[in-house]
Amino acid sequence: MKSMPDSVRGTPVDTKGLARGKIFLTSYAPKLRYAWDTGEAIGRYLAELKEGRLIARSCRKCERVMIPPRMYCERCFRPTDDWVYVKDSGTVNTFSLCYVSWDVRRLKQPEIPAVIEIDGASPGMGILHLLRKVNPKSVHIGMRVAAVWKPPSQRTGSITDIAYWSSMERRLRRKSD
Amino acid sequence: MARAQLEKGKIEKWRGEIPIKSLYTAGTAGQIFFKALKEKGEIVGTRCDPCGQVYVPARRFCERCFTELTSEVTVKLEGVVKSFSYSYVDRDGKRLKQPGVSLLVQLEGATTVMLHRLLDAKELSRVAIGSRVKAVIKAKSQRVGSILDIAGFRLLA
Repeated sequence: MKSMPDSVRGTPVDTKGLARGKIFLTSYAPKLRYAWDTGEAIGRYLAELKEGRLIARSCRKCERVMIPPRMYCERCFRPTDDWVYVKDSGTVNTFSLCYVSWDVRRLKQPEIPAVIEIDGASPGMGILHLLRKVNPKSVHIGMRVAAVWKPPSQRTGSITDIAYWSSMERRLRRKSD
Repeated sequence: MARAQLEKGKIEKWRGEIPIKSLYTAGTAGQIFFKALKEKGEIVGTRCDPCGQVYVPARRFCERCFTELTSEVTVKLEGVVKSFSYSYVDRDGKRLKQPGVSLLVQLEGATTVMLHRLLDAKELSRVAIGSRVKAVIKAKSQRVGSILDIAGFRLLA
């Protein structure tokens, strides 16, 4: 195949030229804002988080207590029945020690995402959150943990209204202080 | 009590935003056009030697014979209105107090037309196909390398 003449190859743009305004350009930033409907179950869940509480939804047929709450039981194929408050403590179901951040920077102290089975909900019912202020070496499946909430003024109705989860010992220690 | 409080703080939406920023370069031919406009206040095109087309603003390839265009031509700031349009609404569809006029102008020395605007809306009713117009170039200190370095066109008597 005949090679392309140089003139139709791309022309590189160097960043210095861009920075100095030597290269003529126009900028564009579309405003891509969106709002998703939370739905009934998650709407209530988030509103309760703002109040510093965890709420679940129960199914009278299979007797499961589900968190995050859902309006429909995927096991029984029927609507769920009742709102049930559950505790802000639980048990580590699974976890990971992450030594890189979301933007792939190396971390000295690992971030510890964990699935936490919530006390008062059915076994295996849990939420994904973060463990902090724990010794990474002491984290284990079955570890007892408790939520550490943001102060009420900082809560927005989000899962991050729980700042993080820490060990149950730590909560008990704080209470006894 | 709790219920009422919750109704007040009802949460119905997750909100989010996708930040996307982009820069478009003018391209190698645009670079020639905007550099001349910004630095010298001139309007520059490119000529196709085989077919005689003079493209304004400058372009890299001839649309008719696909020849690479390497001859730069500085054209006059004066030209003729080939077509025009009144706009009574802005781009959001809002009614304009003073309608705007878009012009397709063929500058002297060019064989193609360029799109720009009539500077003084009061001249609106006098614009016709064939009207002589002149580009009004902004002062050098105000020129940034944009098509609006040409403030607009005014009618010549």
